[in-house]
Amino acid sequence: MTTQALKSGSRAVSSNRSMSMPRRGPGPIARAIDTRLGRGLIQLAAVAAFFIIWEIAVDAAWLDAFLVGAPSGIWQVFRASLLDGSLLTDTWYTLIEAILGFVIGTALGSLAGLSLWYSTLVARIVEPFIVAINSVPKIALAPIVILWFGTGFISKVALAVSLTALVALIAAYQAARDADPDLQALLASMGASKNKIFRSVIVPSTLPAIIGMFRINIGFALVGAVVGEFISSQRGLGHLIYNASSLYDLNTVWAGLFVLMFVGFVLYHLIDFVERRILPWKQISTAGQVQV
Amino acid sequence: MTANNVQLRLNGIRKAFPAKGGSVPVLDGLTFDIHERDFVSIIGPSGCGKTTVFNIIAGLIEPDSGAMFFRGEPVFGLRGRVGYMMQKDLLFPWRTVLQNVMLGLEMKGVDPCQATDTARDYLARFGLGGFENAYPKTLSGGMRQRAALIRTLIMDPDILLLDEPFSALDYQTRLYLEGVLLDAVETFNKTVVLVTHDIDEAVALSKRVVVLGGRPSQVKNVHEIELGDRSPIGARSDPRFSEYFHALCGELDIQTRTRAEAA
Repeated sequence: MTTQALKSGSRAVSSNRSMSMPRRGPGPIARAIDTRLGRGLIQLAAVAAFFIIWEIAVDAAWLDAFLVGAPSGIWQVFRASLLDGSLLTDTWYTLIEAILGFVIGTALGSLAGLSLWYSTLVARIVEPFIVAINSVPKIALAPIVILWFGTGFISKVALAVSLTALVALIAAYQAARDADPDLQALLASMGASKNKIFRSVIVPSTLPAIIGMFRINIGFALVGAVVGEFISSQRGLGHLIYNASSLYDLNTVWAGLFVLMFVGFVLYHLIDFVERRILPWKQISTAGQVQV
Repeated sequence: MTANNVQLRLNGIRKAFPAKGGSVPVLDGLTFDIHERDFVSIIGPSGCGKTTVFNIIAGLIEPDSGAMFFRGEPVFGLRGRVGYMMQKDLLFPWRTVLQNVMLGLEMKGVDPCQATDTARDYLARFGLGGFENAYPKTLSGGMRQRAALIRTLIMDPDILLLDEPFSALDYQTRLYLEGVLLDAVETFNKTVVLVTHDIDEAVALSKRVVVLGGRPSQVKNVHEIELGDRSPIGARSDPRFSEYFHALCGELDIQTRTRAEAA
């Protein structure tokens, strides 16, 4: 969307120029670069430069390879663990924990938050409790969660749930509270029941906020899974990172971190994709067409 | 007028709203009639509770006391029997024009296929054919308000409740939509209650004008408007138009108010 807007904007600029109007907006070089390919190449170059400088700095002994690792070493670890299948197993394990935690926590939280719309009284009564529970750093619950759910798979999911559920609840509740009262009045005047108003106004009008919260929660779910693995586990990326760091194996730590970064990145874009499918009406935008 | 000609009777409607330091009375025993196939405008100074009257008729707010009678039967409000239209178009941004127009039929539980057909007919009839699958965001203000009007009419309500429906539009669009409204009301034999602060609009469109005044509000006067031509432009060029206009202006204390403030 933005790309298109910018492109059409730059076309407008060039036609303006032929009429000898004062030129505005990006210059000719910026306009040439501002394509999908152009931006991608610059981003790729930045990543390559980062690793090359890192490698050179370690080779020249400006940086201590023992403390920071080295791209070549990271690549070796990555290749080896990919070939023996251990990296995929660990990634899969963490991914499933995070996704399950995300789905359960977000679904429970969103449903609870939305259903608070039904009763202002109940919402007012429980609000301070929600705020209180939310103000506890949920990661501090990790030891209890491990005590209750053991050191296996379930405890990691439970931790991810505890991190995501309240975020979802608060986001959904606030969005439901902000839903346009006039739209609700309109439906009420048509004789719609409270359930119909919920389905036809509350759910669709809160969807953008709820999907926005998905982005935050997918990150929290990964935090829950990884921290759970830090505390006690036999598998997973968190386990890999924690173990390697206690052995001062920095290359393995980095390999784990980069995979984790990749997983988060992919999940984030997955949500973007879902958003475009669920909210086609949100894609229409007149913003970004004006050049500032 | 005979009693059986009365469609909706409001009798002694009182309403106060809670506020800091007690409650603020807004309506002080409002009594007036709306006839079958009537076109009644309710005008009054801002804050006189026009919209409150409206919400009470729609059944969205309960009056503190007083009664309403629909064709002689006592009712608490006309939920599900009114078409409600406001200054904001209130189109659902996530629904296409067609889906928006179908909303009322959907709420009534009309078969979706049938509802779609009816909605397409109405859209074509009111000049929005071809925009069925557009989202409201992509339409102009006038088109959106037209879609809102279609959504109101398609439900075939007993009474149309219009709360300053055209006041956010430019004058041309407004005259055009007033015309559309008058035609539709004539064709479908509808009763209309129009809340407006615009005396010009009230005189041009209405058969009767109810003037509210005072704090809390009471019915100050009810004017019968008799103009030869009922089209928006024709009505405004009728010689009697300016008489009514000035009479209503006087009624609303528009001049005395400024004098009182100056003193």
